[in-house]
Amino acid sequence: MRILLQTLFLLMTTAAFAQQGNDSSRTSLDEVVVTATRTPRSMGNVAIPVAVISSKTLYQSGSLRLNDILAEQTGIQVIDNFGKGIQVQGLSSEYTLILIDGEPLIGRTAGVLDLSKVTVKNIRKIEIVKGPSSSLYGSEAMGGVINIITDRAGQNKTDLGLRYGRFNTVDGNLNFSRRFNKTDIAASLNYNQSKGYSLKPNAVQKTVEPFRRSTQNLSIHQQLGEHWKAGASFRANSSHIDNTIFVQNLGSTIASKGFEKNQENNFTPYLQFNREQKIKSTLRGYLTGFNAVQELAVKNATGGYDDRFKQLFARVENQTDWQMTANAAFTAGAGIVRETVRSNRYDSASTLRMNTIAYFFTQHEQKISAKLTMIGGLRFDANQAYASVWSPKIALQYKAAEKLKLNLSYGRGFKAPDFRQLYLNFTNLAAGAYSVFGSEVAVGEIKRLSAAQLLDQTTALVGSLSALKPEVSGGLNAGLVYTMNASSQFTANIFRNDLKNMIVTDVIAFKKNGGQIYSYFNLNRALTQGIELGAQQKIGQWIQLNAGYQFLYAADKEVLQSIKNGEVFQRSLTNGQAYRMSLSDYGGLPNRSRHSANLKFNAENTKGYFSTIRLIYRSRWGTSDLDGNGLINRSDEYAKGNLQVNTSMGFPVNTHWKFMAGVDNLFNYKDIQFLPGNPGRTAYIDIQFIF
Amino acid sequence: MRSSWIIGSAMLALVVFQACEKNEAPVAVPTLTEKTVSGIPADTIVGLVNGQPVGAGKFTFFSFESNAVVPSTDSNSVKWDVGVRGTAIITNGGNSGPGVGGAFVYVGTFDDLKAVPKDSVFRQDNAPVSYAVPNASSKGWYVYNPVSMLITPIPGRVLVFKTAKGKYAKVEIINYYKGGITPSATATDAEKLKNQRYYTFRFAYQADGTMNFK
Repeated sequence: MRILLQTLFLLMTTAAFAQQGNDSSRTSLDEVVVTATRTPRSMGNVAIPVAVISSKTLYQSGSLRLNDILAEQTGIQVIDNFGKGIQVQGLSSEYTLILIDGEPLIGRTAGVLDLSKVTVKNIRKIEIVKGPSSSLYGSEAMGGVINIITDRAGQNKTDLGLRYGRFNTVDGNLNFSRRFNKTDIAASLNYNQSKGYSLKPNAVQKTVEPFRRSTQNLSIHQQLGEHWKAGASFRANSSHIDNTIFVQNLGSTIASKGFEKNQENNFTPYLQFNREQKIKSTLRGYLTGFNAVQELAVKNATGGYDDRFKQLFARVENQTDWQMTANAAFTAGAGIVRETVRSNRYDSASTLRMNTIAYFFTQHEQKISAKLTMIGGLRFDANQAYASVWSPKIALQYKAAEKLKLNLSYGRGFKAPDFRQLYLNFTNLAAGAYSVFGSEVAVGEIKRLSAAQLLDQTTALVGSLSALKPEVSGGLNAGLVYTMNASSQFTANIFRNDLKNMIVTDVIAFKKNGGQIYSYFNLNRALTQGIELGAQQKIGQWIQLNAGYQFLYAADKEVLQSIKNGEVFQRSLTNGQAYRMSLSDYGGLPNRSRHSANLKFNAENTKGYFSTIRLIYRSRWGTSDLDGNGLINRSDEYAKGNLQVNTSMGFPVNTHWKFMAGVDNLFNYKDIQFLPGNPGRTAYIDIQFIF
Repeated sequence: MRSSWIIGSAMLALVVFQACEKNEAPVAVPTLTEKTVSGIPADTIVGLVNGQPVGAGKFTFFSFESNAVVPSTDSNSVKWDVGVRGTAIITNGGNSGPGVGGAFVYVGTFDDLKAVPKDSVFRQDNAPVSYAVPNASSKGWYVYNPVSMLITPIPGRVLVFKTAKGKYAKVEIINYYKGGITPSATATDAEKLKNQRYYTFRFAYQADGTMNFK
């Protein structure tokens, strides 16, 4: 209640502060998006759920890294586990594809792509497509696709930004964009650092260690005659994180010191043929490398930890768009990917693991009548290391009335088994001497252990070890967009994703020393379903109000069946006795909040004075099992729901200088155990100089 | 109306009949005991050897009949029914003791198990290769979380015992830590080690030799 009152007060001061307004962080249906169909289309005309974050919203929200801004979007959760990953439509980070200018980012740890390595300071806009898009993008595009579109080249502008915030957070940025005759250039530099923080007072080990990151971008585009264009983009991204780890072992403390280093380099050359409104064909190359090193040395002792992971992804692709008639557009594409990994997480850093993928995709868009448009797509991925996949998609849009659009789409998504699931060869000597073997190496390792007389017994599952299949999903989205008038709009979307062949680890054998041996299997089935609502409303001259809500239900289908069969039990918190679990006791998949909502006020006048207040709510979410059934069911197995309030304000000093300041997490919400990535209240100031 | 009259007379007849029986024979002693026991130490941690926590290596023996801990000097007798050492549970039978004991794990709640099913197979100890109650995470009565390093009894697992003397008992293990309270996942390793290996369980013991738990 107190928070609400204080928020209202803030809002009133905001309103008083901004006298005359103009349109600000409002998304227009005319906005052109490229991610939904891989062709430029106005947002109101694509039949699948799309959201756009503008550079203005990014600036006014004071976001630095990609996770900052995505955490404020409806239906998206940022989950802090092996880095800041996202959850879209209840699907976790490994099922979401992140693109930069249409090319996939690599370098996942345990399936999670850490979004904090992506700066948003050189971004023109972010497009978010929800539901499966594997028909266009292939693997990982199950829950959604996030496409980060960087600054346009050839804009003749240069700006310099500097920001300082709590925990010695420094972010420096230089963006440069220029046109020289027929050559367009864009370049950017970003440096980001923090000294980290400790959530527990007097802790020897910091919750977040000091880090520094830098990103460099360069893109060049050259017009070659009337129809031809060529260009290339380079991106280099690196991060360095200090590691000081203390392990408590019965009173004695073992300290190890070291670092974690990540380096990522991308190179994207292209050649494009474009005959206005008729045919466009692009040949693109994409070469990206990710190199991660972690080294830890134990103080006053030998040994330590050394982890090396090197991934290379190379792709050549052609995409041709053909505008057949005014009512029909056809797209076709094909490509080859070669992916290699070297890591000492597998057998040795010198062994090269590789996979080759060849694929093609087509899409046809047909305007059937003045009111009805249909888009059909199909993609085929043939793989060397695992089974091939077909990914179809169909989407319909019906303009029921001038103000009302109805959208319906169904698509299949997939995620290829990753190198870890195929080739991991890991034995933990410290904790129970357990081992995890990838599906491709498990049989060989079992034979080796058996020959060495180290094996006690195998389980029935050892017989079903086979080549892993991709995880697949079917996703249905049904929604509407209702535009009441120029100042209010309402959207709704119902979604359901059915996942099968989900890859899980299970025990295949026991070692004589008691250690368990795990491998990977296509076993589980799950579902996520829910509803997403959004509203935009302009209040008076200067205030824009955006509200969003998502209801989510995500469950393991095997568990649902076992509960129905009466085979699942839970332990009472009061008397410790076990009793049978009912469907309503089951909290579903961990890390999912049933309710999430946001409310954003944005005020801006014609002189560019602005102020924002953003309220982000998330209901409780399951963390880990405590009563031995492996499921989320008891009230103590949840993290507390919370409301976080972020605010910012700023103004242009003159034509060259822009100033802004903000406070994130205004009411200092903290959860040491379940939100270690949340440092509490954080204030910052930000200055921009425009040349 | 009529049917309730019939039931009423039937009940009356039953009472009269039972009353007559009572006059002829003494009241039957209830043969089923149901108890909750806590704080049974199971080879608690005494120190570290090569960095690994160890106990003294001794089992704690318990008798369902007397509802008490049996001294380890009686280990080679039929005075005890069950022994605990860490997560290992032994029965007085097989190669663990001179009795006729055995056990198996029943999936269901304690109250669900109203009688030992007729076709039940009691497994016997064949230490150290196998135990009547399997001693491995997710295989028998507990699950081990390698992240929090905590042991949690699996809900819905009832250990059904044949005692040393061939009677029947059922056991639900409730907790593995001192005071029946599992330390929090964020507690120190020392705290987790110091407080582990203390059993809290409830049991029902049928002294009349039948397989009923009613």
